[in-house]
Amino acid sequence: MGPLILASAECDPAADIICKPDNVIELFRYNDALFSIGPFHFTRTVFLMFLAMAIVLALLYFGLRRKALVPGKLGVLVESTVGYVRDEVAVGIIGPEGTRYAPYLLSIFLLILVGNLFEVTPFISFPITSRMAIPGFLSLVTWVIFVVVGFAKNGFGYIGGIVWPKSVPILLRPLVGLIEFVSTFLLRPITLAVRLFANMVAGHLMLTLLLVSGWVFMSSVGDIGIRSVIGVPWFVFGLGIFVFEIVVAVLQAYIFTLLAAVYVQSSVHPEH
Amino acid sequence: MDAIKGAIALVGYGLAAIGPGIGIGIVVGNAITAMARQPEAAGMVRTTMFLGIAFTEALALIGFVLFFIA
Repeated sequence: MGPLILASAECDPAADIICKPDNVIELFRYNDALFSIGPFHFTRTVFLMFLAMAIVLALLYFGLRRKALVPGKLGVLVESTVGYVRDEVAVGIIGPEGTRYAPYLLSIFLLILVGNLFEVTPFISFPITSRMAIPGFLSLVTWVIFVVVGFAKNGFGYIGGIVWPKSVPILLRPLVGLIEFVSTFLLRPITLAVRLFANMVAGHLMLTLLLVSGWVFMSSVGDIGIRSVIGVPWFVFGLGIFVFEIVVAVLQAYIFTLLAAVYVQSSVHPEH
Repeated sequence: MDAIKGAIALVGYGLAAIGPGIGIGIVVGNAITAMARQPEAAGMVRTTMFLGIAFTEALALIGFVLFFIA
């Protein structure tokens, strides 16, 4: 496996076992550029981002190329994914006009899904969504969409309905309005991004720690003898977490899409 | 001093995980009750359950991020 940027970038495991990045900024910015075009550094994350885009485009192209009555295996997979996002997420949550938002929801779902599954792909082992820029940008786009939709559908009644909710007793309205305002315009995009980011960082760190510590203990059998057997349970536990992380990757992509749909729905029908 | 700071951040993350742990337990438990009582509504209940889990879990994840920033 070629894993584990967090550990391997900073230290030589043969020299000292306990090591960590000097600075937490490393989690947010990885400057080891493969090559640069002017001020734009082309890092491994950017490369994987383009790879994810290419995989998504290829999946959609080859899956939906032939409109057969009985589609092939890939066709069934892609068609059921597209159908699920459109019928269950977009139309099921937003309502009949949800089909307008289905392309956006499908794009973010597939991009995040592929980006998350890079975490458990051998020889890549790095989820691009564990760099704050990518979930941050996706949630920023979602924020822009639901705010613009809210203003387009309701005019300035949208913000009025948030800061002065009519369904609450009049004495409580300023308090509830303040909470609603902060939660809608600040906490929603932040938690949307942080949820995906933190889940992926946590999974990546856990895999890194367990598999690397297992590997370090087992490979130093010549130095520490029988005590190296302590690496075996770590390695086995790491493989168990590996399977768990596949579930987390799919679930987080689903939750991000679902929450984007819920936020758009709250702008389309603000009373509910 | 650095070691103390790290240990306090660790305790803080542990405290931040208590509430969401209880909350997710309540959400999933009630979702299971609902699904057992009305299996035909299981799809809708499952979607809402995931939403509830996502909202509850955000608190624990914010604690997790703060643990790194501290």
